[in-house]
Amino acid sequence: MTDLIPLTVFGAETPRQTAPGALALAERPDIAIASLALRRGTAGAAPFGLLLPGPGGLAAAQAHLAFWTGAGQWMVLAEGLADTDFAAALRDAAPGCSVTEQTDGWTVVDVTAPEPLIARLLERLVNLPPEALAPGRATRCQMHHLPVHALRLSSSRLRLLAMRSATASLWHALETAGQRLALP
Amino acid sequence: MLIPHPLLGLRDAQEFTYLGDAALLDRPSPEGEGAEAAFCDYVFLRGNPAGVHRELWFHEHGDRSWLVVTRNTLTHEILGAELASEVAKALRGAAE
Repeated sequence: MTDLIPLTVFGAETPRQTAPGALALAERPDIAIASLALRRGTAGAAPFGLLLPGPGGLAAAQAHLAFWTGAGQWMVLAEGLADTDFAAALRDAAPGCSVTEQTDGWTVVDVTAPEPLIARLLERLVNLPPEALAPGRATRCQMHHLPVHALRLSSSRLRLLAMRSATASLWHALETAGQRLALP
Repeated sequence: MLIPHPLLGLRDAQEFTYLGDAALLDRPSPEGEGAEAAFCDYVFLRGNPAGVHRELWFHEHGDRSWLVVTRNTLTHEILGAELASEVAKALRGAAE
């Protein structure tokens, strides 16, 4: 049988990592993604022990994470499960809901930096009031003219879901911003 | 221009796509007297006042919801925003 080697979005065999200035950027191809939507008349769902959050919210339970994307709609992330059929697992965990596989449609980029630096990065790249991306908040927005889902996991960690086809552009924007923030 | 999204708070108008007159939500009944003329007006006529106007805006770079935004077209002042789904529900409720 042919040995197939999976490539990341940048065409490499290993996920890309760089540290421009004091930012640490890490590509996360291990994260599985699926979207979850309630159907009319469905009371609700609590997959993997997640309490599905309200508008602009984020909820995490162990390796799973859910964030609100629209009325009655969420995106669910699972670390380390990208090579499994995560959508099927989510479908089993949320009976009666509509589930769509999203892994590989989005590229996950984790940004780690001290809190003041993340705040300055967001000031430059995101046209939102700071409270919209306070720790524990998540929202879809534009970053450097690119549509992203931005998740503020904690004060020092920001997770971005970028459109796969535009990931290199977003990476370039983050790298450039990181280098400029490091200038005296 | 900032649009006060009912769920997400103030958002820049750049995140939205504009459709126009919110009267589109009020589709006439296809039955009864004058239905054809009413549909003709519904399909082809749009209000375009110089002043306060109710318009449909789509939150493309956000939660992908449709909003009814009340805007003064002379000053660009935004007077309010509601979820179009709620407006449509209220219209249906009023019709029944």
